[in-house]
Amino acid sequence: MIKNHIKTSFQSIRRSPFQALAAVMVLSVTFFVATLIGVVLYGSSQILHEFETRPQVIAFIKKDVSGEKQNELKQKLEQDTRIRDIKLVTREEAVEIYKDATSDNPLLGELVSPAIFPASLEFSVEDLSFAQSVIDEIKSNDIVDSVSYTASLGGESELGAVLERLKNVTYYVRVASLAAVAVLAFTSLLVLMVVVGMRIQTRRGEIETLSLIGATKGFIRLPIMLEAINYAIMGTFVGWTLAITVVFYSTPSIISYFGNIEVLPSGAAALFQFLGMILLGELAVAVIIALTGSLIAISRAFK
Amino acid sequence: MNKTSMVEFKNVSKSFGPIQALKDITFNIQEGEFVFISGASGAGKTTILRLLIGQFKPTSGEIIIDGTPIHKMKKSAVPRLRQSIGTVYQDYRLLPERTIRENIEVALAVKSVPEKEWRERVDQVLNVVGLKDRANLFPAQISGGELQRASLARALVINPKLILADEPTGNLDWKNAESMLELFEKINKEGKTLIVTTHNQAILVKSKKRIIELEDGKIIHDQKSH
Repeated sequence: MIKNHIKTSFQSIRRSPFQALAAVMVLSVTFFVATLIGVVLYGSSQILHEFETRPQVIAFIKKDVSGEKQNELKQKLEQDTRIRDIKLVTREEAVEIYKDATSDNPLLGELVSPAIFPASLEFSVEDLSFAQSVIDEIKSNDIVDSVSYTASLGGESELGAVLERLKNVTYYVRVASLAAVAVLAFTSLLVLMVVVGMRIQTRRGEIETLSLIGATKGFIRLPIMLEAINYAIMGTFVGWTLAITVVFYSTPSIISYFGNIEVLPSGAAALFQFLGMILLGELAVAVIIALTGSLIAISRAFK
Repeated sequence: MNKTSMVEFKNVSKSFGPIQALKDITFNIQEGEFVFISGASGAGKTTILRLLIGQFKPTSGEIIIDGTPIHKMKKSAVPRLRQSIGTVYQDYRLLPERTIRENIEVALAVKSVPEKEWRERVDQVLNVVGLKDRANLFPAQISGGELQRASLARALVINPKLILADEPTGNLDWKNAESMLELFEKINKEGKTLIVTTHNQAILVKSKKRIIELEDGKIIHDQKSH
């Protein structure tokens, strides 16, 4: 029986293609923007995550300190719950890193002596609020010569301030994005309500006839609701397809701009999985919008 | 209640605001009977049919169809009542965007008849009304007489015990009206109860069936079949 209702809903779309087109286009815009916002939110959270988790602090060890003492400090830091991902870089490893970095100019690598490179301890903090206190504590350690930060954005002098600003930016991006999606979703809901309401008016005679021959409320209303769901599904697919086209088109530029920060999931499978999840979420929201819009329109029309 | 009663009206009155459409109407229609309800416009003919399909409730009195009191029926039970009654209207009430076959199938879909039975049942009623060759045409492509026969086919396909027809010959010429009357008589002979409203005197004279005559919401004459 549902097959017949689906057929009826498609027949209804064919009868008034421009109303259908208007509904699908408005929903397409909503889900086009929603998909792009989904990608932007993912990217921004990845950027934030990158800054929060990359080795943020490097403590340079004084030159004459033995390997044993360096290890002692490393073990001490490992026991500190505020600190994670601790890595000891020996003088030799530091030279190798320098040589790698200057591999396009071998002369630079040969001119330096390993003696000028200090050993260092690189680590991250579990939470940015711990950063300043950890840095202050480690600076006061006897074997530590100096401490530097690997993150530096804008004019802020302190790591905490830099990341706090990044967090704020991310927060406002999220709030603005969600507000934009909410406004677009509400607009879609209104458009669907109007289109479904118009449909009911044009089918008034048919609905009356169906009622006279014994059609139940469900029998009359189901094709109307299915029609709204059809618009929503079509709109979602069109919007999502347009958005992923834009994403794919701009992926090379995005990757080259952000370098090693994975603002998009790496690998085709992961990227499609991510976009597929967005599509599923959007379909769920679209069906909710369609059901809500059509039910409101139906309840108003059949009052 | 008589076991063979199909429709009973007991002291039924219906008012629309200050207008009293039916005034204390009482009649009884037996199963398998063919009854005409006649009267001038506004006499209350259509009101009786609308009460019978639960379109509204009587202001007072009792209406019983096939043993079921419908005057106290809940709104949610009305679709089931309508699914058991075949209805034919003066303006045909066919769905313009569907073919004649699809229009008849709608009645089966409404009644949740399994789809595998549709073709056979629709073919059967199309044969009865003589529209087999018009099955795939749209309402706009056939004549008024054929539209009314398609409407009757839709009423028949659900195999109802009771068929109500509201001015079925109102839009037809004499030849088509006579043809409809013949169809009604044929269906009645198969055991269906028919209640037909009309103001067409020629039809009434020709049919020689029971006539309940209304005037100003009251029964002024209940002439048994002759």
